Amino acid sequence: MEILKGIEMIGKALWIKKQKVLILADLHIGYEEALNKQGVLVPRTQFKETKRKIEELLQEVKLKIIVINGDLKHEFGGISRQEWHETLGILDLLREKAKVILIKGNHDRILEPIARKKGLEIKEFYCIDSEKICILHGNEVRIEKEVNNAKILIIGHEHPAISLQEGMKSEIYKCFLLGRWKGKKLIVMPSFLPLTEGSDIRKEKLLSPYLSNIKNFEIFVLGDRIYKFGKLKEI
Amino acid sequence: MESEIKQAKLRSKEEILGVLDELVKEWFFSKFKEFSMPQLYGVMPIHERKNIIISAPTGGTKTLTAFLSILNYLVSLAIKNELEEKVYAVYVSPLKALNNDIAVNLIEPLEQIKEIAKKKGIKLQEIRVAVRTGDTPTNEKQKMLKKPPHILITTPESLSIVLTTRKFIELLKAVEYIIVDEIHALANKRGVYLSLSLERLQYISTIYPCRIGLSATISPLEEIAKFLVGFEDGKPRDCLIADVQFAKKLDMKVLSPVKDMIETSAEEMQKGLYGLIDKLIQEHKTTLIFTNTRSATERVVAHLKEMFPSSYMENIGAHHSSLSKQHRFDIEQRLREGKLKVVVTSTSLELGIDIGYIDLVILLGSPKSVARAIQRIGRAGHKLHEIAKGRILVLDQDDLVECAVLLKEAIEKKIDKVQIPSNCLDVLAQQIYGCAIQQKWNIDELFNCIKKSYCYNNLGREDFLSVISYLAGEYALEARDVYAKIWYDSSTHEIGKRGRLARMIYMTNIGTIPEESFVNVVIAAGEQRNEKIGAVDEGFLERLKPGDVFVLGGHKYEFCYTRGMNAYVKATVHRPPTIPSWFSEMLPLSFDLALGIGRFRKLLKEKIKTSREKEAKEFIASYLYVDKNSVDAIYNYFILQHKYAEVPDESCLLVEHCRIENKHYAIFHSLYGRRVNDALSRALAYLVARLGGRDIELGINDNGFLLASMQSIQVERALNMLNPKNLKEVLEEAVHNTEVFKRRFRHCATRSLMILRNYKGRTKSVGKQQFKSGFLLAASMKISRDFPVLKETRREILEDMMDLQNAGVVLGWIREGRVKIQQIHTDLPSPFSLNLIMQSHADLLKIEDKIAFLKRMYKAIQEQVSKQKRF
Repeated sequence: MEILKGIEMIGKALWIKKQKVLILADLHIGYEEALNKQGVLVPRTQFKETKRKIEELLQEVKLKIIVINGDLKHEFGGISRQEWHETLGILDLLREKAKVILIKGNHDRILEPIARKKGLEIKEFYCIDSEKICILHGNEVRIEKEVNNAKILIIGHEHPAISLQEGMKSEIYKCFLLGRWKGKKLIVMPSFLPLTEGSDIRKEKLLSPYLSNIKNFEIFVLGDRIYKFGKLKEI
Repeated sequence: MESEIKQAKLRSKEEILGVLDELVKEWFFSKFKEFSMPQLYGVMPIHERKNIIISAPTGGTKTLTAFLSILNYLVSLAIKNELEEKVYAVYVSPLKALNNDIAVNLIEPLEQIKEIAKKKGIKLQEIRVAVRTGDTPTNEKQKMLKKPPHILITTPESLSIVLTTRKFIELLKAVEYIIVDEIHALANKRGVYLSLSLERLQYISTIYPCRIGLSATISPLEEIAKFLVGFEDGKPRDCLIADVQFAKKLDMKVLSPVKDMIETSAEEMQKGLYGLIDKLIQEHKTTLIFTNTRSATERVVAHLKEMFPSSYMENIGAHHSSLSKQHRFDIEQRLREGKLKVVVTSTSLELGIDIGYIDLVILLGSPKSVARAIQRIGRAGHKLHEIAKGRILVLDQDDLVECAVLLKEAIEKKIDKVQIPSNCLDVLAQQIYGCAIQQKWNIDELFNCIKKSYCYNNLGREDFLSVISYLAGEYALEARDVYAKIWYDSSTHEIGKRGRLARMIYMTNIGTIPEESFVNVVIAAGEQRNEKIGAVDEGFLERLKPGDVFVLGGHKYEFCYTRGMNAYVKATVHRPPTIPSWFSEMLPLSFDLALGIGRFRKLLKEKIKTSREKEAKEFIASYLYVDKNSVDAIYNYFILQHKYAEVPDESCLLVEHCRIENKHYAIFHSLYGRRVNDALSRALAYLVARLGGRDIELGINDNGFLLASMQSIQVERALNMLNPKNLKEVLEEAVHNTEVFKRRFRHCATRSLMILRNYKGRTKSVGKQQFKSGFLLAASMKISRDFPVLKETRREILEDMMDLQNAGVVLGWIREGRVKIQQIHTDLPSPFSLNLIMQSHADLLKIEDKIAFLKRMYKAIQEQVSKQKRF
């Protein structure tokens, strides 16, 4: 399903048809390891699961460019051996198929050694000028000219999810959001991180400075396919 | 040789005098006139090193009974200068604040004996006593190593820690006596944990220590005895039972605060209740009031102060487990000094802390079990031969019937049975970790040692090995080192500890009591948005559904949603509360007592059908031990139900169908207590939901349960599908991934040391544990259904929280026809179902999968949108 003309939602990813660009956000590789370090001994399933999901995606589309829209890995501070290994594994998988563009997220403070090893550049944002699209993580407002010129912003960071309620029942789903920010169209992507849906936009405090009053935002719920639910205030 | 659990014999005074040392004898009779009943039963067997369990009411000199022979032995050694540098006796109690009682029962007697010896010019070696709990400072612990205590006073947790301490173990290798006090408070995972520590102690011991158990009123004593002593060669070890439970005479009555409970308004009821409480307090010197919940404790204190300001100021106090240690000590101290007129408590004063003289115990509402009633009332009358006076004040008709039957069972000495959890894999994981820290083990030898515990006697080898695999990190999928706590060498069949931090992790994370967490109640919207108004416990939150109205701090709030450790509410509510705020703390009615009520219902029903009012009332008066007001109230309640519908009883399970606002209700009058009803209702709800393809609402209390749905409820088909054999399987499906499951999983994961509360110097808040356990649960589900932590979560829910066993028994009765199902249709719920409709614990059994729900919600939105477009 298209969220905007020419921008399609495929699972948790976005697909810009014309330029053959695939966008993923918030993989948070190493999340389990971070939990382990805090004494929550989660068994490791994330890497395998993430890899499987990416492989599925790569089979679906023939792409030229893949954009990781921030927070490829979790961890503030150092990079552990496991993270290093897993992150490289994912990057290798992507590089085989397309040019990889890394966008810096708030968890990516020291992504550089990994990027350097693979000869990749880390960008603060990535714009597709012909379409006036700009892809950025969304943890802080960027004021560069290219960003200002864009008509469509695509951000991650928020890990949006929505709970649907009926009587006593409540279930939560990952979702895409479509709204506006200062005259521009704004798309918020769900996190690629498995096992957890994200933060409920109805109940939790919003994180990104790009989001404030979202009741007029349109909600696209991710289930077996994408369901367009209309405006948040009407759900 | 057959092992034996048998009754202890009453021994003669002369026999005891014959074995007591002159010094001990002189000391004893300087303090007491005679030996007490527990002493006449217990002192000799302990002298003869026989395992024994002594069950006697509080004030029954139990502790001294246990210690008398031991003191006598130690004194006789001390005279001969033969006391060695080792621990002779280990005393374990679930109470943390032991100092005061120990001072009374041990330090003082020892001091006084020393005095006597000095006067007589007898030289005595020093007999040392030391307390070791979580609060004991390190330098004290160091001192114990240099000068070992002859008597070590400790808690279950601290005992297991000393068992991993290489130096201290040396001092424990020839322990001669183990005393377990307050064993009635250990019929839970903490007791399971202790049972393994006792086997670990026995394992390192070069001699067989004599085990002594002390208990308040509890049943069945044979099982408690086996729990105390464990198994040897597959058979229970020998144990004597000294049952002096009824040595203390009880004067118990059930009182109703008003004449007619049906016609009385809530205000009048309240007035009547507090008037009666005040009257009783004023007629006595010191009164102890038990409520069933902590919040009720606070409420009673507040109301008494408000309604009788001149009577209650400094002389009233509350005592419950949420209050600070200091506050509780203060209350206990003032009680002992006789400075308080009345103390209101929930469960914290049930245990045998010395609280001085109490001449009246009031129970507010049903204590839900005969044993608990006797334990509580037994706090009155300080000495064993004094009469304990207790008054049970009932709060509504169901409460009245329940308490009246409870009183009958108590007077007729029918004590309800407790169940001790078995094969708990989380506790096992923690203990195996402890074992591995202590030494290298051959796993067969370890398995044998574990199976000696009563709680693991029938542990399957597969389950044992799964715990070993878990601890060895074999379930860790991609990264083995994640939670490998032990190493396992499959060629030598040995296990041992792993990592330098092992002991530290163990010491700072062991324990079985889940940390109670409180959730902030926060205003969701409007002017007061984000204002914090108070806190409710996590268990209470679990029961809430969006839209529920509850009371907090005297105000009503509507629950909207939760986020992390916050519960968001609306402050402007004009509806009455839909859920009582004390629900999560409610004690479940015991199965045996529930059956007793069912029996009474049947007898009274027959009387009502066959005879006149006068005879029916005479029957009530003669069968139950209640006053005329109560007789009238019970009669009126039953006649109302009889005329309107049908009286359910022990052989008639009434299922009442009715419709309220288009919703179908099936009300099951299954009087089996909440634990059984929890199991039956969820299993049936699951089957009904599957038949209809839609979620089912359910409500549960002690007297029954209800199912509700917008569709008709196929009771018969579901009942036919359920039997004692498939009950467990159905329930496992029904509870899978529910809110209860998530919460219990966190507790089990914490006990299994999969979530470490304290790690690398950091302490995690319960909130953080909770948030992260959601992720942990999702990941664990991916491993295997038989992952031991998941398996234990299911076991705990089915066997400890619910009562799977007795639910199976009930289903068996239904199959055999011993219990008949009678279905009726009513226009309005019958009198007996009012409490169930109004204040039962409500929940939802989800059957519809997440995607199907999403599709349905999507369709609903679509329809709404197209409707709007049309107008």
